[in-house]
Amino acid sequence: MLLLDYQNVLIESLLKDRFSGGSPPASIDQVVSDFDGVTFHISTPEVKTKILVSISVKCFPELVQYGAEAVLEREYGPYIVAPESGYDFSVLVDLENLPDDQEAKDDLVRRISLLKRNAMAAPFEQAFDEFHQLQEEASKYTSESAPQGVLEGGQTRAIHYREEEAIYIKASHDRVTVIFSTVFREETDRIFGKVFLQEFVDARRRAIQNAPQVLFRNEPPLELQNVPGINNSGSGEIGYITFVLFPRHLTMQRRAEVISHIQTFRDYFHYHIKASKAYIHSRMRRRTADFLQVLRRARPESDDKERKTASGRTFKVQS
Amino acid sequence: MSQSLRPYLQCVRSSLTAALSLSNFASQASERHNVPEIEAASCPEVLLNPLTVSRNENEKVFIEPSINSVRISIRIKQADEIEHILVHKFTRFLTQRAEAFFILRRKPVKGYDISFLITNFHTEEMLKHKLVDFIIQFMEEVDKEISEMKLFLNARARFVAESFLTPFD
Repeated sequence: MLLLDYQNVLIESLLKDRFSGGSPPASIDQVVSDFDGVTFHISTPEVKTKILVSISVKCFPELVQYGAEAVLEREYGPYIVAPESGYDFSVLVDLENLPDDQEAKDDLVRRISLLKRNAMAAPFEQAFDEFHQLQEEASKYTSESAPQGVLEGGQTRAIHYREEEAIYIKASHDRVTVIFSTVFREETDRIFGKVFLQEFVDARRRAIQNAPQVLFRNEPPLELQNVPGINNSGSGEIGYITFVLFPRHLTMQRRAEVISHIQTFRDYFHYHIKASKAYIHSRMRRRTADFLQVLRRARPESDDKERKTASGRTFKVQS
Repeated sequence: MSQSLRPYLQCVRSSLTAALSLSNFASQASERHNVPEIEAASCPEVLLNPLTVSRNENEKVFIEPSINSVRISIRIKQADEIEHILVHKFTRFLTQRAEAFFILRRKPVKGYDISFLITNFHTEEMLKHKLVDFIIQFMEEVDKEISEMKLFLNARARFVAESFLTPFD
């Protein structure tokens, strides 16, 4: 329960249920919310056997610009249909036309429940590809003679996936930098966040040597110098968390896992801040009850309690 | 209990016991009113000398006695930002339940984190030495609670960070 799932559990269970064929097809019309303001719409617009899954992402135009369409085409190929109005992308599954063997069915369920992850993965994949390209180019030169462009890396890809928060991805010849900007709504969140992030920074030094390097600061990092729309108010409300992914994380066999995992960072991080707050709150409640108990002891016990005999009869003082 | 905490608490205990000799005293300014004089502060002759007991600059107790009421303000140790926010949250949590605590003041005196107001009606209803016990126990436990919460937060943060980064390993 500590780590968040990559897929949308509701979509997964719903599709699994329908695909198993146990229950007769029924009409569905459900709106499902996910993290980061993503909304899904699962419906059966025409017949009960045709399930339409649509997704709406706030930053879809940006994702398209970074090649989301190609990624989605690769993942969902024949299932893609024209997007439902009000949504950005739709897939249609026909229950009468499913793959035969169980494994392919499960794979399809898994892929559809990862719709959000796949839509958001495009800029990461693009950056990882760019990294491999730059690495190849850089290997032609020694470290001194490499031309500026190769050394510094390419453009910074910005995904404004929430109202005030964004992910920036930049590829270089020896690493890919992923920067999350995150807003702390209140003072407590900011301080709790700082404690958590300090541990992220230290974890690498202490236990997990191969983890990506994590950096944290309140001012925009140098990588974002020329990116438009960076809020540089310096009020401390916005934090920038930098993950430096090294070549070991960017290999072909690991990249799908790494992309999925790093996408959950923001939600994971804020989830644990909230969870700690909730725990501390319940703790304070318990402690307050203890204090009340102590204070109650200060009240002398009243003697005018009704006294009873063993058989349950009561005395009454005759006046 | 650390070496300097014991005399500090002992001192607060005896000062409080001495200060808590209260008697019923109706308002001199308006008829049929009976207000805590330390809060009203309408006439100087019923106010006694206030007293500060401090362990260090961050931990002190301010006792303001008067003829029918005593105000006790506590400043809780706050070594860093985390402790500051935890103390703030905790005292706010308590003051929001001031009704249940009878002697808790809704708003702390300026410069302190939490204040109590004990009037002669409280000492008539409740046992005096138990009230002092309560204040002392409160002071002991609040420090303990704050440092435990801080430790918990650090431990959780460490655990959370490590489990997020482990899949990259």
